[in-house]
Amino acid sequence: MLETRSLTKSFGAVHVTRAVSLKLERGERRVILGPNGAGKTTLFNLLVGELTPDSGSVHLAGEDVTALTVPRRARRGLSRSYQKNTLFDGLTVEENLALAAAVNTGHATRLWSDSLSRPEIRETLAEVAHQVNLMPYLHARVSEISYGVRRQLEVGVALATRPLVLLMDEPTSGVGPEMSKGFHELLNNLPRDLTLLIIEHDMDLAFDVADTITVLNYGEVVFDGLPDAARGSKLLKDIYLGSWEDA
Amino acid sequence: MFRHTPLRYAVLAILAIAALMQAFTAGYFGLEILIEILILCLLVLALDLVAGFGGMVSLCHGALMGVGAYAFVALNALAGLDPWLAALGAVAITAAVAWVIGAVCARSHGIYFIMATLAFGQMGYSYVFSAPLFGGDDGIGGIDRFDLTALGIDLSDSRTFALFCLAVLAAAYLFTVAILRSGLGRSLAGVMHNEKRMKALGLITWRVKADVFGLSGVIAGVAGVLAAQHIQFISPGLMNWTVSGEALVVVILGGLGTLVGPLVGAAAFVVMKHQLGEITTYWHLIVGVILIAVVMSRANGIFGWVEARWGARIERRLSDATRASTPKEVSTDA
Repeated sequence: MLETRSLTKSFGAVHVTRAVSLKLERGERRVILGPNGAGKTTLFNLLVGELTPDSGSVHLAGEDVTALTVPRRARRGLSRSYQKNTLFDGLTVEENLALAAAVNTGHATRLWSDSLSRPEIRETLAEVAHQVNLMPYLHARVSEISYGVRRQLEVGVALATRPLVLLMDEPTSGVGPEMSKGFHELLNNLPRDLTLLIIEHDMDLAFDVADTITVLNYGEVVFDGLPDAARGSKLLKDIYLGSWEDA
Repeated sequence: MFRHTPLRYAVLAILAIAALMQAFTAGYFGLEILIEILILCLLVLALDLVAGFGGMVSLCHGALMGVGAYAFVALNALAGLDPWLAALGAVAITAAVAWVIGAVCARSHGIYFIMATLAFGQMGYSYVFSAPLFGGDDGIGGIDRFDLTALGIDLSDSRTFALFCLAVLAAAYLFTVAILRSGLGRSLAGVMHNEKRMKALGLITWRVKADVFGLSGVIAGVAGVLAAQHIQFISPGLMNWTVSGEALVVVILGGLGTLVGPLVGAAAFVVMKHQLGEITTYWHLIVGVILIAVVMSRANGIFGWVEARWGARIERRLSDATRASTPKEVSTDA
């Protein structure tokens, strides 16, 4: 469903992504681990088109999308949530979800109909609001809801485009232990045919959700395998404890 | 996202009643002032649509109104087309020009957007200033008003023309509200709040901005056609950047992004201009001081200040009254 081939990116002399090749099957849930500065978010930016790779390619559902812009990749089914909330703060939760759903259904540019009143949009936003537990907050403005609920909305907005592949950049970033548990359930309840690529520092969540785990360090893939193998990996422990050295 | 509140409805009603009273009771000069206000209202409505709801602060809207006026003159006075057909053509031309400006400028933001629109406006001004076809800096006359004599309406009469302008303004207001409540209008709000996220969701944002700029051009074009018919003479001054600057002052003075506020601002501005103009030729200085006071007060213009002070109170009272008038459930238990 999503594939990268030797994706490489440098900023001057700093190599942030080094020949990263990944292949995610449809419905696969992969968690990307790695210390700060490992190039995880840069990899996401390369996947969605916010950055252009120096070399290598990105393929979505068999199509080479490397040359496509951010909106065109999104329209082909690649959606993302951000590490820092990137929401429409002056609007309500319902309006945030409707904006995303309207783009997907082609109502976002229509002049003579209100996207929010369209049955297909209302259906999508109700379904997504239920999936990410936002039903009680639909009419609240983003500025009125708590940080944790905003994190749920961040995922909800990405989901409302009905993506084929959803990239989540630290969905539990900054939330407390209770809410983090809620995210375990939320992620496990997402449709099984949805392909997920998640950057996460919360190991419990990573091992709970992941079908496969990829570890990045200094921009390159240093581990790619099943969660059980990752759990027992000395390399992974060393990276997180800081004693790993460039191999 | 644009919402009509009880206060906004109330202010609209007050403005409409005041305009109707002025139209039916004023003498010639009073009617001229009313028409000037109504045409300025159209222009600031067009500007508020892009600046207040799309974050596109334009300094070419005066020039767009000028495009509407000059295109109307070209099609009516020069090409000899019927005024209605000429008006239709002029509005279409203005919308197309506005769309192109919007499409080119959509990729810039903030001061760069303002400067790019200013450059477009001044290009138009420079062209008509030196174009012999349009009379150069002398301007051009011989402009017809719409002919509605078949309906028994004589638009050469100032009172009737003022009422006609008021009807056009009402239609333009409803058109603007319809845009803001459409899928396109909601996307525009999304782009203004967070363009990066709208792109990530799959929206081609420059296209949304260009489309709304084009629609804003429709309203500016209508303002231009009415401005040309009002004095039946136009000159390059109509396209000068100072017209765009004044329109922006009016929008800020009234309340950016409220639709109702700029209408209040237009009325206040024109009345101040004429009243203060009778006292001193330096009336701009006084308007400037008022504008600085409004901006420094951190209120969103005159209407924004009123809305912040009384809007919530009025809504609370109305909802209390609604609750009180709702019949209570009666227990049927024995």
